[in-house]
Amino acid sequence: MDRRTFLKVTGIGSVAFAAGCGSETGEKLFTLVNAPDDMVTGEATWYASTCRECPAGCGIIAKSREGRLVKLEGNPLHPINRGRLCMRGQAALQSLYNPDRLKQPLLKKGDKWQPISFEDAIAMIRYRANAAAAAGPNRVRMLTEVVGSTLEGVFTDALAGWNSSGPVMYEPFAYESLKYAHRQLFGLPILPAYNMEQADFILGFGADFLETWLSPVEYAWKFKAMHAIQDGTKGRFIQVSPVQSLTGANADRWIACRPGTEALVALWLIKKALAGGAGYHLPIDFREALDEITSDLDAAEVAAKCDMEAGQLQNLANRLKAAHRPLVLGTASAAGPEAAVADLATATLNVLLDPVLTSYDFDNRHRVEAAASKDRVLEFFKAMDKEPVRVLLLHQSNPLFSLPPGADIAGALFKKNLFKVAFTNSLDETATAADLVFPIQHALETWDTYEGKQFVTGTMQPAMGKAFQAPSMGDVMLKAAFETPPASDYKQLVAAKLTGRPDSASSTEWLRLVQKGGRYFKGRGEGNRTVAPNPDMLARLQQYLARTGKNERHKFFLAMPSVRFFDGRGANKSLLCEIPDPISQVAWQTPLMVHPAVMRSRQWKDGDHVTIASAAGKLTAPVYGYEGLHPDVSAMTVGQGHTAYGRYARDRGLNPLQVLDAVVDQDAGGLAYATQLKQLSGTGKRQQLACFAGSTSQYNRKIAVSIPLAELTAAGKHEKDKHGLTMEDFPFTPPTPAGYDRRRDFYPPHEHDTYRWGMVVDLDRCIGCGACVSSCYMENNVGIVGEERILEGREMAWLRISRYQDRKHPERSNFLPMMCQHCDNAPCESVCPVYAPHHSAEGLNNQIYNRCIGTRFCAQNCPYKVRRFNWYDWEWPDPLQMQLNPNVTVRSKGVMEKCSFCVQRIKTARQVAKDQDREIRDGEVAPACAQTCPTGALTFGSFMEANSRINKLIKDPRAYQVLGYLNAKPAVIYLKKVLQEI
Amino acid sequence: MSDLTYKEIDDTVIDTLSPPTAKYWGIIALVFAGLLMGAGCWLYQIFIGVGVAGMNTPVHWGTYLINFVFWVGIAHSGTLISAILHLFRAGWRNPIARAAETMTVFAVCCAGLFPFIHLGRVWLVFYMLPFPNQRTLWPNFQSPLMFDVVAISTYLTVSALFWYTGLMPDLAAIRDRATGTRKRVFTILSLGWTGEQGQWHNYARGYLFFAALATPLVISVHSVVSWDFALSVIPGWHTTIFAPYFVAGAIHSGLAMVLTLLIPLRKIFGYERIITIHVLESVAKTIVFTGLIVGFAYATEIFIAWYSHNIIEMESFWWRAFGDYAIPYWIMVFCNTIAPLFYLFKKVRTNLKLLFTISILVNIGMWYERFVIIIGSVAHGFLPNAWGLYSPTLIEFGIMIGAFCLFFFLFLLFVKHLPSVSMTEMKETLHHGASDDG
Repeated sequence: MDRRTFLKVTGIGSVAFAAGCGSETGEKLFTLVNAPDDMVTGEATWYASTCRECPAGCGIIAKSREGRLVKLEGNPLHPINRGRLCMRGQAALQSLYNPDRLKQPLLKKGDKWQPISFEDAIAMIRYRANAAAAAGPNRVRMLTEVVGSTLEGVFTDALAGWNSSGPVMYEPFAYESLKYAHRQLFGLPILPAYNMEQADFILGFGADFLETWLSPVEYAWKFKAMHAIQDGTKGRFIQVSPVQSLTGANADRWIACRPGTEALVALWLIKKALAGGAGYHLPIDFREALDEITSDLDAAEVAAKCDMEAGQLQNLANRLKAAHRPLVLGTASAAGPEAAVADLATATLNVLLDPVLTSYDFDNRHRVEAAASKDRVLEFFKAMDKEPVRVLLLHQSNPLFSLPPGADIAGALFKKNLFKVAFTNSLDETATAADLVFPIQHALETWDTYEGKQFVTGTMQPAMGKAFQAPSMGDVMLKAAFETPPASDYKQLVAAKLTGRPDSASSTEWLRLVQKGGRYFKGRGEGNRTVAPNPDMLARLQQYLARTGKNERHKFFLAMPSVRFFDGRGANKSLLCEIPDPISQVAWQTPLMVHPAVMRSRQWKDGDHVTIASAAGKLTAPVYGYEGLHPDVSAMTVGQGHTAYGRYARDRGLNPLQVLDAVVDQDAGGLAYATQLKQLSGTGKRQQLACFAGSTSQYNRKIAVSIPLAELTAAGKHEKDKHGLTMEDFPFTPPTPAGYDRRRDFYPPHEHDTYRWGMVVDLDRCIGCGACVSSCYMENNVGIVGEERILEGREMAWLRISRYQDRKHPERSNFLPMMCQHCDNAPCESVCPVYAPHHSAEGLNNQIYNRCIGTRFCAQNCPYKVRRFNWYDWEWPDPLQMQLNPNVTVRSKGVMEKCSFCVQRIKTARQVAKDQDREIRDGEVAPACAQTCPTGALTFGSFMEANSRINKLIKDPRAYQVLGYLNAKPAVIYLKKVLQEI
Repeated sequence: MSDLTYKEIDDTVIDTLSPPTAKYWGIIALVFAGLLMGAGCWLYQIFIGVGVAGMNTPVHWGTYLINFVFWVGIAHSGTLISAILHLFRAGWRNPIARAAETMTVFAVCCAGLFPFIHLGRVWLVFYMLPFPNQRTLWPNFQSPLMFDVVAISTYLTVSALFWYTGLMPDLAAIRDRATGTRKRVFTILSLGWTGEQGQWHNYARGYLFFAALATPLVISVHSVVSWDFALSVIPGWHTTIFAPYFVAGAIHSGLAMVLTLLIPLRKIFGYERIITIHVLESVAKTIVFTGLIVGFAYATEIFIAWYSHNIIEMESFWWRAFGDYAIPYWIMVFCNTIAPLFYLFKKVRTNLKLLFTISILVNIGMWYERFVIIIGSVAHGFLPNAWGLYSPTLIEFGIMIGAFCLFFFLFLLFVKHLPSVSMTEMKETLHHGASDDG
């Protein structure tokens, strides 16, 4: 090689090498020529809107950064959720940015989907519907989810224009039995809100008001308003049900009863109440008839039929009698057998005990009451055979999945000459069966209204730039159905409807409304309606009493509503799949819950495959032993087991509806989410459950600690007064110089600069709902690892809700939120060779990702096991990455991470405070978990501020530190759960 | 041994350096392929992430650190034999000192690799070095891992120098008989050794000082390694017995490895007259002793767990013995404390096959001891909710096999290219007749 060649080669080589060193962003950055006024790079803009993940209608504020929505929080002004959101609401952005979200209308050509333009699709709907309408009446039908009244009006008008009757609103959980009960008692099939916060005793018969029932966030805060310890007392809650859901796990006492016997318990209680002199406000003949029906009930016999103890029954009666403001709630969203009678009897019991109806708020009825009952929905599909329906519009509903196979929805859909249009953003089961799939704007991209309750009108506005091209449902209908639309676009219609004036879409009044997130009236509160019982209901009760409890012992199977997936609409969100079920702690899979006594007798272990078969079908599921079941019952949550819908939902988990019959109640019209089993047998195969929990026992380790109410009021001694070194007598050691003791501590305490951040977790308020976990994932870009990785133990949750069982009463659960404890004497900090975990001047245990080399010693030495290692680079399939919070680093493989107390929020608050030349105020910063907690169980603040809320809370005699005796001086202080024996 | 002459020693040893056979190169190629396979596994892990190994939450340390401690342990008896026994004038160590020292150096090399393999971001490992940098960031000398860096690198340096020092007169002896390239290489390696009186004098002094310097390292290095665990708060790790327990265990495993290596070496190279059965017996006796110490440590751990009345410790040790990892635990107990007891019988001690088999058992047992300690403690920590299990993946096995291949690759190269028995010390033994007082 000569010199010249050498120089050439090295020259080219080094250039090529340098070229390869680019950061390879692969994207061009453009600045906006004219940025909108409210868009400042690096600063968030918040838009008020309404959550549409379930029919409850909570208010939200959506955080937009550089035109992208990155986080949702509850709207503090909204009366339903008061600034809080549930797990599903927090995950709503995953439906906006779902990687399986359709971008274009799809037309079915043979077996294939052909993308077409939105204009062509609208024209096609218009043409088909007009042609159908020309042929005769009722040729165009529509099934929609529960929508706001504005959109409902548009649907009704559009269908009227097509010479057809109005839309049928379909919700899988439509509370038919409760509506039936209210129709019998109040004359109308209504779903009034409950003034739960004013009750002093709640007797529930399965209503899962902390999970899915009517309006879970609202009832969560209302429940804790009455049930959390306050001034030495707390309200009482007993649940009687065959399956203890998360709600039952939060009761002071859960009493198992045989499925279908809830009404019997209620009727016996009615007898007792009548005997105790209740019910004089009712018509005299009704009262007498009720008395006559129930007079034969004998405590011992009822107890035997329900499989309860007679003493427990008597206790219930005594409690109801002793209560000043008792509240009796009915069955779950997905109710079991005899739900109609159970809701009838429980509602009757409630009005019996509540003469002036203070427990109801009739002005604020839940919007979901607009949903059609299942018999009407089934009729709707059956009618397709009889009526020559030509066009079927399906808006955001998936009956093919959410109704049992016996309903034969598929048969109705695959009728000849029926043009089916599915307005949905994903190819779910029903959309797959449609001829045209039409993607529409997500609730966060559209103008609309939704009345969560009669007096609460929530508004929706486009909270982000147009990242997706789909039009809004309202606009589609305006274009497709009207020769002369009532407004130029749907936004105008919404504005006109809200302000009562046309063309008000730019008026100040309208803007204020939108800014606030809606219009909220209080209503008249309680009462203002009288009980007008329908005597026919007595016959139904009599009928029930005549046939029930012949002491047949069937094996029952119940399908439970899911706190994660609701009715199944959340199943294609990776986040909701990843967060484990609060009870079983199993993620991604659907286990069958069976009582441990049954497991023992059959020699089954968790994860063994068990086949269940009913008259309707068969399922094979991994089994999970759970004490919160009546031994005759096995149960499974609904939501998973999709055959379509998207990558996270398809062929994952199981759908319990597969074994249910499509039988509806003769009066109420509700579907029984229960069936009798013909078979319950092991297959000999097994699988590993994707379970987060190692063990649900505490091994007497003082982890999730509870204290009986009597002891609390009697002793009230604070743990700081202890002097010892063992688990039992180690004193309370706050993460401040006050926690320093020369006899125990080798190193001097940390000196902190202005703040020493910490958190108080009130276990008496924590209901284990997992909203905080969901919020944490969304705020902190926590990786979602998937089922396989969870099986390997690689979950990344910074915050987990561990469920521990009570040793003496295994059916009782203690929920313990566990996140980084930001110890003052942190075991992780001393062992890292490169100072990646670092104690900040404000007491935070910071993890410096750039510094971390991945020795994992910190995680080994963490007694709380809250550190999470990035075993791989995690994926956010396009466009899920748009949700990533730009204020938080996305961690790459090989790096340790953990809860940071949302340090980015602290920094933001500090900048604001600095600008105003002051210190951060107490309560100004809330980490994502504390912000969203529906019950206010988490409180964040600084120990350095004398009057901060956390400093007040830690004076509570319930204050303790998990594993405090290790002297790590954790900055997360727990308040013991208060138990009452009732 | 009195029938040996200086010449016979030279002949026997230098004959082992005769040009190797094709079979030898075949074996070398095989272990090299194994080494490449291990390297490939590591490379794969670097590109994909440490997730390709079986570790998880809560078991963040897996076979990589088991192997690290295992190899550090192996490395211990080399120095014990060459340094401590040298100071104690235990003549029986002379024939095996060279091989044992070599084993030490190579084992430390293998051990030193594993912390790198273990790291999540090995490309940033230089953060652990105290180099001046713009952000004035310094490593955390409070961290036992920093102790490790210092201890292991010191140990590697000292044991390598000690090894080389002892090798020098032998290198000169080979140089004197060699021709051609080989002569040139050994001329450089022997650093101008002429065998003058003055050189011998300095050599003997130097060797003695090195032995004295290396002796505390034998104790300190594995004590430091044990502090990786003992300085944590984890039940099962946080105990004061760990340093002596680990040192005894290290010597135990190292001596077993010496037997595992020397018995075949002795046969292949015809060292029967140099490495006599008496030498092997002496090693076996020492193994009985270390095995008893290790057994005592096991018993003490359990006793203290019970005596402490600490329910977490008690549960932790109960679970070790009867929980998910009971099989590894009982393998450990049997192989490390019960199997070596058979060495108490002279028949066993003098039977090469049994001697070899039990040495292998001890090696396995010591690997499992590290498994039980490293995995068993964190898998069952303070919060029952966070308990989890661990099992290694194929990638980890690949890397483990790769490490063994690296060790044997180096060792095989060594036995054919450098004198695997110290001619110098053998001659000293002859001179002093020291072999009989061991």
